[in-house]
Amino acid sequence: MRLGRDGIAGLIGLAISLLLLPQAFGLPKLPIVPVGPGFYPTIVLVFLGTTSAILLVQDVLAQRRAGPAAAETPPAPPRAYGLVAAAFIVVAGYIALLPLVGFRLATVLFVGAFQYLLEPPKTTQQWILLTAIAIATSVVAYLVFERYLLVLLPRGAWTGW
Amino acid sequence: MLELLGSGVFTILQWKFFLPLFLGTLAGVIGGAVPGVTITMTIIVILPFTYGLEPLAGLAAMTGVYVGGSAGGLITACLLGIPGTPSAIATTFDGFPMARNGEPGRALWLGVWASFFGGLLGGAFLILVTAPLAAIALEFGPWEYFSLFVLAMAMVAGLAEASLVKGLMATAIGLLITVIGTDPIGNALRFNFGSEFLSAGFPFLPVLIGIFAFAQIMADVEKVRDPQQTEGVAAVGQPTLRISHLAIIWEILSRPVLLLWSTIVGIVIGVLPAIGGSAANMMAYDQAKKFSPRPEKFGTGVPEGIIASESSNNANVGGSLVTIMAFGIPGDAVTAVMLGAMTIHGIQSGPLFVSQNAEIAYGIYAAYILAHPLMVLIIGLSTIFILKVTAVRLAVLAPVVLVLCVIGAYALNNTMGSVYVLLLFGVFGYVLVKAGFPLAPLILGLILGDQIELNLIRAIMTDANPWLFLTRPISGGLLLAAALSVVFAIWQHLRHQQRISEADADF
Repeated sequence: MRLGRDGIAGLIGLAISLLLLPQAFGLPKLPIVPVGPGFYPTIVLVFLGTTSAILLVQDVLAQRRAGPAAAETPPAPPRAYGLVAAAFIVVAGYIALLPLVGFRLATVLFVGAFQYLLEPPKTTQQWILLTAIAIATSVVAYLVFERYLLVLLPRGAWTGW
Repeated sequence: MLELLGSGVFTILQWKFFLPLFLGTLAGVIGGAVPGVTITMTIIVILPFTYGLEPLAGLAAMTGVYVGGSAGGLITACLLGIPGTPSAIATTFDGFPMARNGEPGRALWLGVWASFFGGLLGGAFLILVTAPLAAIALEFGPWEYFSLFVLAMAMVAGLAEASLVKGLMATAIGLLITVIGTDPIGNALRFNFGSEFLSAGFPFLPVLIGIFAFAQIMADVEKVRDPQQTEGVAAVGQPTLRISHLAIIWEILSRPVLLLWSTIVGIVIGVLPAIGGSAANMMAYDQAKKFSPRPEKFGTGVPEGIIASESSNNANVGGSLVTIMAFGIPGDAVTAVMLGAMTIHGIQSGPLFVSQNAEIAYGIYAAYILAHPLMVLIIGLSTIFILKVTAVRLAVLAPVVLVLCVIGAYALNNTMGSVYVLLLFGVFGYVLVKAGFPLAPLILGLILGDQIELNLIRAIMTDANPWLFLTRPISGGLLLAAALSVVFAIWQHLRHQQRISEADADF
């Protein structure tokens, strides 16, 4: 049986609801409330499970109807999913660095890395611009938030600032 | 009421409130004008700046963003043929042809002044209707609230473009996220899998920022090397924007029925939860075309198309604010962020909001009204500058926006936990968008989840008879409307399918 994008989403939704339903049933009842803490989650999980199952069935039927003709659909425009994955990794790296080196240094590194990822500089002038934007973002954010608005920004365990 | 409003205007005119309002409106106009940056994204970026401000100053800034953003989209829609925000899509249909026909100033200013008048009419509605609606909402018991929330979710899920089932499933996912953590009645732990971090549940704002901001930025990143995206649309060149403002204002006011009807469409769509300006401008444009004696001219640069679209999307803002201020239900993602900001400052929105926080409520009204002349002034003085800003590359814009998102999440409670939630839901939101799930129902489920549970349990604790949800007239009516909206969505879907199969049969 072939599954499309919706079928996989339906399958995941159904699995989550089936996995969590026993936990919802197992939640202890409270003496003051006529229905326990599992009552509402059970409704939500049944709702999720039902919609997931319908989506799954719809997809299976659609795949059957489409048959080999589905292969003839025009290809989607190219998308840089590798770049998106790399962008998420850079963001994750930034978030991991924040508590270690602090907001100011981590932000310079992040803004520089993200710009490099999307548009790698080719000339010295472009490198200077990239560095200037990275430093300016960090400095302006620090001055505006921490100094002016008194909003605390992450400190680094390694750097102490 | 007039006395309170006058006092609100006087308060907002103080420097500490007026400056945030001005900067918010400026940010809104710029954010609205930059294609790919929505009003939601702009308000998310503005959010961390409001943490250090007084509640009213922060809310004034957000109101400014909302008003400015709803109008800002028309600048690029008219002059570049690219709608700055989804709420300016219909403005492009006639605004850009008019600009290309040699009247860019007329196209732009028809939009600006239509936004001004539509927005102010929406403001009148906001001021006059919020308090009476809140008084009605005060009569609601837990049954009515539960049914109202169910209606809101049914409508939003039914409006999902792709599929009703996916809309409903997205709602269920949003609701499921809210049950993780501590149960709101008895404080029992649910689905925390032994994790201390999950015991408190997921904080709302980092989830919202993650889902919206990341989904949009990453969707832009994936197209960054697509040559079609960088080609752009033929711009109007160096536009001459000088016009007679009186002539433009007369051009709008000489069509009172069009202006009023488009405003009403905008307000009604604004009042309905989580639909937003993108639907309002399209629907108002469609209505204007249907009622016009010359519908065939629409799309060639007629003023009616611009007036309908722009007056409706700014009136929509007034309608959205009514819903959040009278019922505590956000009209769209922008008001959802405003709701989150209110919660941070310890303000409870809902039917008691206007009576218990009159100073803030009338301050918001005043900020809303004053944001309109500010918007006109900002667009008048800086259109050419704004057009230059729209050329900022994604490589520069994206990391700066992401840094502001991280600050917004971290500054909520000064812990990295919120930032981890931001990343987690950033990935999740992007995956959902790629899987074709609409985000609006998920966000509404997320916002209303706790309230639905509280009201359901309160209703059962008051009287265990489940039939009361149906037999109490208002509650029953609301549930019937919810069922009808789902049936209507199914009927629309089937009709759409039938049309497709008929079109296929023609070949």
